[in-house]
Amino acid sequence: MLTVRRLAGAFVAVTLGVLVVACSALLTASSRPAVPDRLARAAVLVQSPATRTPADPFPPTVPWSSAAADDLARRLGAVPGVSTALRDRVFYAQPLGDDRIVEGHGWSSARLSRARLVAGRAPQRAGEVVLDRALGPVTLLTASGPARYTVTGTVDAAELYLADDEAAARAPGVSTIGLALTPDANVDSVAAAARRTVGSGGQVLTGDDRGALEPRADARTRWIGMQILTGTAALAAFATVFVVASTFALAVAQRRRELALLRTIGATPRQVGRMLRREALTVGAAGSVLGTALGAALAPVLGRVLVDAGMEPSTYTVRFVTWPIAAALLLGPVVAGIGVSVAAWRAGRIRPLEALREAEVDRRPMGRSRWIAGGLVTAGGVLCGVATATAADARRAGDFALLGAIALVTGAAVLAPAVVPAVVRLLTWPAGRLPGATALLVRQGALAAPRRTAATAAPILLTVAFAVLVSGLVKTTTEAYAVGRGAALSADQVVAPDGTPGLTDAAAASVRGVAVLPTTVFAGTRPLAVLGVDPSAYVQAQRRVRVLSGSLDGLREPGTAVVTASVAALRSTAAGSPSGPPVGPDSRSPSSAADPSGSPRGSPFGAAPGLGSATPATGASTLDPAGSTPGSDSATPGLGGVVGVVFADGTRSALLVVAVVADGSIPGDLLLSREAVRRHDPSALTSAVYVNGPVTVAAGTGARLISVREYAAEADAAEDRLVWIFTLLLIGVSAGYGAIAVANTLLMASAARGPDLRVLRRTGATTGRIRRALAAEAAVVVAIGSLLGGVAAAGALVAIRAGLSEQAGAPVPLVIAWPVVAAVLGLCLLLSIAAAITPTFRGQR
Amino acid sequence: MRRPADAVVRCAGPTRGGTLIGMTKSAVELREVRAVYGAGARQVTALDGVSAAFGQATFTAVMGPSGSGKSTLLHCAAGLDRPAAGLVTIGGTELSGLSEDARTRLRRDLVGFVFQAYNLVSSLTAEENVGLPQRLAGRRPDQAAVANALDAVGLAGRARHRPSELSGGEQQRVAVARAMAGRPAVIFADEPTGALDSAASRQVLDLLRALVDEHGRTVVLVTHDPVAAAYADRVLILADGRIVDELPGTTAERIAARTAMAEERC
Repeated sequence: MLTVRRLAGAFVAVTLGVLVVACSALLTASSRPAVPDRLARAAVLVQSPATRTPADPFPPTVPWSSAAADDLARRLGAVPGVSTALRDRVFYAQPLGDDRIVEGHGWSSARLSRARLVAGRAPQRAGEVVLDRALGPVTLLTASGPARYTVTGTVDAAELYLADDEAAARAPGVSTIGLALTPDANVDSVAAAARRTVGSGGQVLTGDDRGALEPRADARTRWIGMQILTGTAALAAFATVFVVASTFALAVAQRRRELALLRTIGATPRQVGRMLRREALTVGAAGSVLGTALGAALAPVLGRVLVDAGMEPSTYTVRFVTWPIAAALLLGPVVAGIGVSVAAWRAGRIRPLEALREAEVDRRPMGRSRWIAGGLVTAGGVLCGVATATAADARRAGDFALLGAIALVTGAAVLAPAVVPAVVRLLTWPAGRLPGATALLVRQGALAAPRRTAATAAPILLTVAFAVLVSGLVKTTTEAYAVGRGAALSADQVVAPDGTPGLTDAAAASVRGVAVLPTTVFAGTRPLAVLGVDPSAYVQAQRRVRVLSGSLDGLREPGTAVVTASVAALRSTAAGSPSGPPVGPDSRSPSSAADPSGSPRGSPFGAAPGLGSATPATGASTLDPAGSTPGSDSATPGLGGVVGVVFADGTRSALLVVAVVADGSIPGDLLLSREAVRRHDPSALTSAVYVNGPVTVAAGTGARLISVREYAAEADAAEDRLVWIFTLLLIGVSAGYGAIAVANTLLMASAARGPDLRVLRRTGATTGRIRRALAAEAAVVVAIGSLLGGVAAAGALVAIRAGLSEQAGAPVPLVIAWPVVAAVLGLCLLLSIAAAITPTFRGQR
Repeated sequence: MRRPADAVVRCAGPTRGGTLIGMTKSAVELREVRAVYGAGARQVTALDGVSAAFGQATFTAVMGPSGSGKSTLLHCAAGLDRPAAGLVTIGGTELSGLSEDARTRLRRDLVGFVFQAYNLVSSLTAEENVGLPQRLAGRRPDQAAVANALDAVGLAGRARHRPSELSGGEQQRVAVARAMAGRPAVIFADEPTGALDSAASRQVLDLLRALVDEHGRTVVLVTHDPVAAAYADRVLILADGRIVDELPGTTAERIAARTAMAEERC
C-alpha cells in the first residue's frame, strides 16, 4: 500500500546501517593479535603467569626472576624436540634521536627473530651492539644515560641486541622463554610436554596464540580501534532504528485516510499493523542484502585505512568469516522491525471513520502517552548525567555519558511538539512584523502543525545534540584530566621526555627537582603501579597527596612502602596482620625464588616464604605471600601491615606499610623510594621531573623543559588523538544519518503539501516566492531542531562539567568543538533547504 | 424497474420482535439508537432514539438537512461507530458485544461501502481494489467474480487502471463493483453521487438499483439529492436526530417537497 518512494528513506537508512555494521563486524572479526616478528621463529613460546586488573585490559605478566628463568629454561631445554630454550630479556635501549627502536634484547634471543645478521659479528662484551645501521660508533640511551657503543654487526630489521651478560644485568626479570625446536619436532607434542614442565608457573603458547606476546602498546591501539568500530556500529544500528521509525511514522500519518479506508472495508487493526510490519521487514531484508554486500566489498578498503592509520599491524587482512555476515543479514529486518513497532501500533488504532471525514482533523500536539514517554526518557537521561558526574571509573562514566546523551536527545525529540509553537513564535516574531507574505506563510506553516514541524525537526535535533554533546564531552573530559593533573602539581615547570619513552637517570639527575620513577609490581595476580620518589620532595610537588595514616618519611627506611587505601584494603581482606617481623626488601628466600620451577602444582605465589610448601588454604590465597595467618582479622588495615609483592626483576619482597594515602591522591597504587625501584628494575625510566626555579636542559639527553600546563595536556596525547578520531567518526555517522532523516522527512512532508502549493500558486504566488517561503520554513525547522538539541546537550554537558570539576578539584572549562558543530549545522541547513524546495521543481514540470 | 416497498419503518417505540417486518427478515435493524458527540455543554445529540429496519432486497434512501444525523445513522448501522445507547443488528448479529476485530470481520463479510470520495486505494488497480475485501478476509479473490463485477459496472476494459487514471464516475463504479464482488448482504452508500455530474450519477444509481433488483442486496443510501433518493423504494427523512417522515418510493419532486417541509419544521 505504501509506495516504494515513500519508503526510500527507510531503505537507504537500513542499507547504510547494515553496511556500517557488516564492515565493522568483519574488521573486528579479522583483527587478531599478530605474532611479533621478533619472536616469529619460536614455534613454542612460554610466557610468565598472567595478571588481571580492571584498570588495564592488557596487563603485564608477572616476571620470573633470573634464577627461576634459568632453571625453567634448563628444564624446558631438556624437553624432547627442543634444541634450546632462550630467555627473552627486554630492556630500554635507544639509539639517540631514533624513535623507531626503544627496546633492546639479549643476543641469544635473536635466534627467535626473523631478523638475520647481514654484516659483522655478534656482540660479545659490554659496549657492543647489533643494530640495523652501519658498523661503527653509536650513542645509545639506556636507563642510566647516554653511552658510547660500538656497532659490531647489523641486522635486517629495526631491532637492537646487546651481549647476553649485559642484557641480563639490564633485565634481570624474564617474561618470555622461546623454544627453538629440532627440525623433526612436532609442535603439539613439544607444547604438551612444555605444559607439563611449566605447570601453573606460566603459559605455553603456539600458533596464533603467540599473538598474546604482541607489544602491549600495539594491543592497546588495536583494542581502541575495535572499540571505535563497535561504537560506530552500535550508533549506526540505533540511528537506523530512529530513521526507520520516523519514516514509517510519517508514512502512517500521511496515509491515515488510506489506512482508515482499509479498516472500513474489512481490515482488522491487527491486519493493518501486520501489513506495516511486513513492509518494514521487506525493506529491512532488502536493505540488509544490499548493505551486507556493500559492507563486504568495502571492508578490505577500510582495513587498509586502519593499517595506514596505525590501528592495525601491517600484516592485517580482512577475513570473510561467517558470523559477521550472518549477523549483518539478520540485522536489517531486526532494526526495521523495531523501528516500525510504534508506527504499526498507531496504525492499528486508526478508526475506520477517519476515512469519511472531509478535512484532516487537527490532533492534539501531545498525547498523554507522549508526555509520559518523553518524561521518563528525559528523567533517565538526567539520571545518567548524574551518574556520569559521580562515577569513579572513567570508562563507566563514558558509558553513562553516552547513554545519557541518547536518552536526553530522545526525550527532547519526544517532547518537542509541546514547545514547538512557543519556539516558532519566538523565532519568527521579528518576521511577523514584516508586510510580506513570505513571513506569514512561514510562521503559519510551522505553527499550524506542531507535530509535523517537530517531526521534521527531530532528526536535526538528534544530529546537533549528538555533535555538541559528544564533541563537547570528549574535549571537556580531556581538558578536565589536564586541569586535574596540572592542579595537582606544585611546580613551575616539568622536565619531560623528548622523543623517548622516559628520562634516563642522567637526564633526571641533571636538574634539581622532584623525579618520579614508575615501575610495576605484582601482588598475586594483580599488577600495581608504583612510583619511585623522594617522599618529602614528592609531597611538596604533589598537592593532592592525602595521608590517611602514618608518615611518608618512613619511606626512607629500606623495605617500606606507602600504599593507597584500596591496596591496604586488598591485602587486609586477603589476610590479617603479619605474625612475624617485617621482612626486608632484599630477603630473597631461596624457596620462594625457586618456586615457579620448584613446585609445579602450586601457584608460585601461594606459598609464603619461610613456610615452605603451601598449605591448601594459603595455596588458594594469592594476594599476600608475605607470611600471614589466614583468618586473623586486622583491626587497623594497612598501617604496620605487610604487602607481599613481586618486582620487575622477579624477586619477591614483603614491604612494610609506613603510610596509607587516600585513593586517587597519588597517580598510582604504591609509593616506594626511588632507590628501591631502581634496585629491582634497572631499566625503569623517570617519567618526569617537577622543577621550581630556573633550570636548563642539555640537548641530546632526550629531555626537554615544558610548562606544567603543557605537560598535563600532553600526558595522554596519543590516546586522546585516537579518541578524537573515534569521536569524529561517530559524529560523522550520526550526521550522515541525520542528513538522510532530514532529507527524507522534509521530502515526504513537502510532497504532502502539494495541494497547498497549488492553491498558493493559483492565488498569485510566484514560484520564487513559494521557494523562498519553503526555504525559510526549512530554516526555521533547522533552527528549532538546533535550539532544542543544543539546549538538551548543553544541559547534559553542564552537569558533566560539574562532576568533572569536582573530580579535578579545579574549575574545568566547558569546551565545545565549534568547527564540528558548525559543520554539522551547515550540512543540516543545506540539506533541509534542498529537500524542502525539491517538490517545487517537480511541480513545475 | 421499481418495486413496491416491502418493509415497514417504525418511527417510535420499541419493537415487538420482528413481527412487524412481515415475511421478510431485516438485513439491518436499529433499535432506540442514541449517538452523542462531545461532552458537557458542547454535547451534541446526533441520533435521538432512532429505530429502523432495512429489509432484505430493499433500497432505502436516508435524507435530511445538514446535521440531521443521517451520516451518523449510516455509521451506526454499518458498525463503524458505536452508539451511546440502543442496539444495532446486522445479518442477525447484535454488534454491541463484539470486539473491534469481530466487528471488522462482520463488516468485511456482510457490509459493502460506497463513499463520496476516498473510495479506492490509490496504489492498487481497479481489479485489485475490487478483490481487496476478499484478500483482507484471507481468501484469494475470485477472479471470475471480480471480472463479473467490473463487467457489470461497465469497466471490464479498465481492470488494470489505477484510480488516478479513472474519472470520478468510473472510480465510483469501481467502488460499486467492489461492494458487489464481496457479495455483502448490505451496501451502505454515503453521498455516492455528491461529486459526480448527472450522467455519471445516473450510472451509479442505476447500478445500485440493479444490485437490489437483480442480486437481492440491501442498499442504504444517504443523500441530500432528491433525484438520487427517487431511485429508492422508500425514503426516510431525518431531522434533529429523529426520523420525522417516511414515504414510499416516489418522484424527485415529491421527495423534494417533503424534505422542504421537514426542514421548515426544524
